[in-house]
Amino acid sequence: MKTRLTEMVGIKYPILLSGMSWISVPKMVAAVSNAGGLGILATGPLNAAQTREAIREIRKLTDKPFGANASLMFPGAAENAKVLLQEKVPVINFALGKGDWIVKEAHKYGGKVFATVVNVKHAKRAQDFGTDAVIATGQEAAAHGEDVTSLVLIPHLAENLKIPVIAAGGFADGRGIAAALALGAEGVAMGTRLMTTKESPLHENFKKLTMEKDVYDTLFSKRFDGILCRVMKTDAAKKAIKNGLSWPAAFFNSQDIAKQIGVPYFKLFLGVLASGYKNAKQLAFMANAFKAIKDATEDGDSKKGVLPVGQVQGLIHDQPTVAELFERIMKEAKAAQAKVNAALD
Amino acid sequence: MFKTAITEMFGVKYPIICGAMMWLCKPKMCAAVSNAGGIGNLTAGNYETADEFRAAIRETRKLTDKPFFVAITLLPSVRITPEHHKMYVKVCAEEKVAGIEFSGTPLDKVAGMEAVELLKNAGVKMFHKVGAVRHALHADKIGFDGIYAAGIEEGGHPLNDDVTSMVLTPRIVSSVKIPVVTVGGIADGRTMAAALALGAEGVMMASRFIATKECEVHDNIKQELIRRQEFDTVIYGKSIGLQGRGLKSKVLEEVLAIEARHGGFEELIPLLSGQKVKEAWETGDVNYAPLMVGQSIGLINDIPTCQELMERMAAEAKACSARVAKLCGN
Repeated sequence: MKTRLTEMVGIKYPILLSGMSWISVPKMVAAVSNAGGLGILATGPLNAAQTREAIREIRKLTDKPFGANASLMFPGAAENAKVLLQEKVPVINFALGKGDWIVKEAHKYGGKVFATVVNVKHAKRAQDFGTDAVIATGQEAAAHGEDVTSLVLIPHLAENLKIPVIAAGGFADGRGIAAALALGAEGVAMGTRLMTTKESPLHENFKKLTMEKDVYDTLFSKRFDGILCRVMKTDAAKKAIKNGLSWPAAFFNSQDIAKQIGVPYFKLFLGVLASGYKNAKQLAFMANAFKAIKDATEDGDSKKGVLPVGQVQGLIHDQPTVAELFERIMKEAKAAQAKVNAALD
Repeated sequence: MFKTAITEMFGVKYPIICGAMMWLCKPKMCAAVSNAGGIGNLTAGNYETADEFRAAIRETRKLTDKPFFVAITLLPSVRITPEHHKMYVKVCAEEKVAGIEFSGTPLDKVAGMEAVELLKNAGVKMFHKVGAVRHALHADKIGFDGIYAAGIEEGGHPLNDDVTSMVLTPRIVSSVKIPVVTVGGIADGRTMAAALALGAEGVMMASRFIATKECEVHDNIKQELIRRQEFDTVIYGKSIGLQGRGLKSKVLEEVLAIEARHGGFEELIPLLSGQKVKEAWETGDVNYAPLMVGQSIGLINDIPTCQELMERMAAEAKACSARVAKLCGN
């Protein structure tokens, strides 16, 4: 399938792997790119050295194009982004911040930069500073989003932007891809669907839950990590959202994060304090969410773990390989579109 | 040029149905949509007696010989009682209207299976507007003819399961045998083409029809829908167990403030009165009462006639589909 996205980055299918912490790891990224999509490495849980190592591992596993993300709100994200630029990663996907400097540097080596956005204002700003495409996150998506749903957001962005729009939120099969393309998107990003594949490192307990849960089994709240975030509705998630921010837990969890990203704790602590109360509160929230997501994805702990998922989990009932999935999606899209053509003729 | 289960069932040109709107979906507007090739809507709640309601159906028939839907909301209300619900069903059966859009409680639970039988025998097609698979399955089971799958983006009262159209439509299509129509987020040919790709047999729109020449609402309202964007609606009413989506306004800010401090039902009622909504439509004051429109207002940029709107949608849908078909190698 040829769209402006597939042509821009040189991939077979217009499908991206969303950058999901502890799931979009080098093996998974390579699996998606080898199957003809575009794998995106999640750098959220990594420090600069680990990011560099991960990029090199991906390059050992695939010679296809791939990408990596940088959620600019997290501590250490800018350092990771610099590593991505040094390593000349083909596609860099930034979110939750202004990535103009990334665009400038990436374009020097022919890299492409995608901005994750939730509204036209941010999308236009990203376009203005040279971003190559936007990933439009609809309300139904896993993790962070806003209120506007994919059905309305995609056409609105597509008609207001010159750069390609990649639809994220609500896509798991060929019907969804056909719909996204009809709305003017040039491709889709899939998180929840791809985390439930054979190659995905997501713990089996949560793969099983994703297949069992329905479209309404998610929670969308600011009380999980401080900004609107969609997670699977489990007892652990309900409890986390009911309790809101726990400062003592954040104190312990942030120590783990400091260890993980290789920053001395006092440095992280002072840095966070210096960023002001609002930001400190946000980061404390995120420190706890970080731990809960790690418990879910790596350990499969359904008592404490919380997993970001999209509403689309209700359309997922199996665990194919990535290659099987992509082939099926293309067949389904063709069939869905043939039906539309028949209706319109 | 359109051929879907909906165009076949009703013998209409376009699978585009006007959704229920209190105070707005009256004979003239209803006939305008039907005459333009879609399916118009006569909202029963506008009429309190059987005679008034019957007169409205007959007036619509004078204005169009095309099929139209009657909308009946089966929810507890101060003004419209269960007796009204039964009266509406009886009149629809006697007048043999083409179809009924039910919303709220399932018909059999409000008026018994005899109501379902009555309408079936009269040849009235029954559709239930739902926000969840379980409600769609129930309607299918009791013999309904179609489902309106209403996503959280719709104006009005979306179910608090909060599922979006992109996910809800394919989920329900996979679960029922009867035709599914997408409601919520539809305003143009692109969104219609997307709904069809998701497996819908048609689309329902309400907000889009407010901004048409024929809609009898103050011009300020139409201009406001053009001006406002997709993020300019808000969900309210969660605290009283009946959430609604409406245009962001001073009155809804007030409603949300009362809800935030756990204010009671009594405090909210005066702000949410239907009578005030009627006045707001007439005077064009968007801050006076909650105006129930959906996120699709972000896709509204003009005030065409119903005919122009639907012709354009058909052409757009065709263009979008041609592009996708080419991409898919069809």
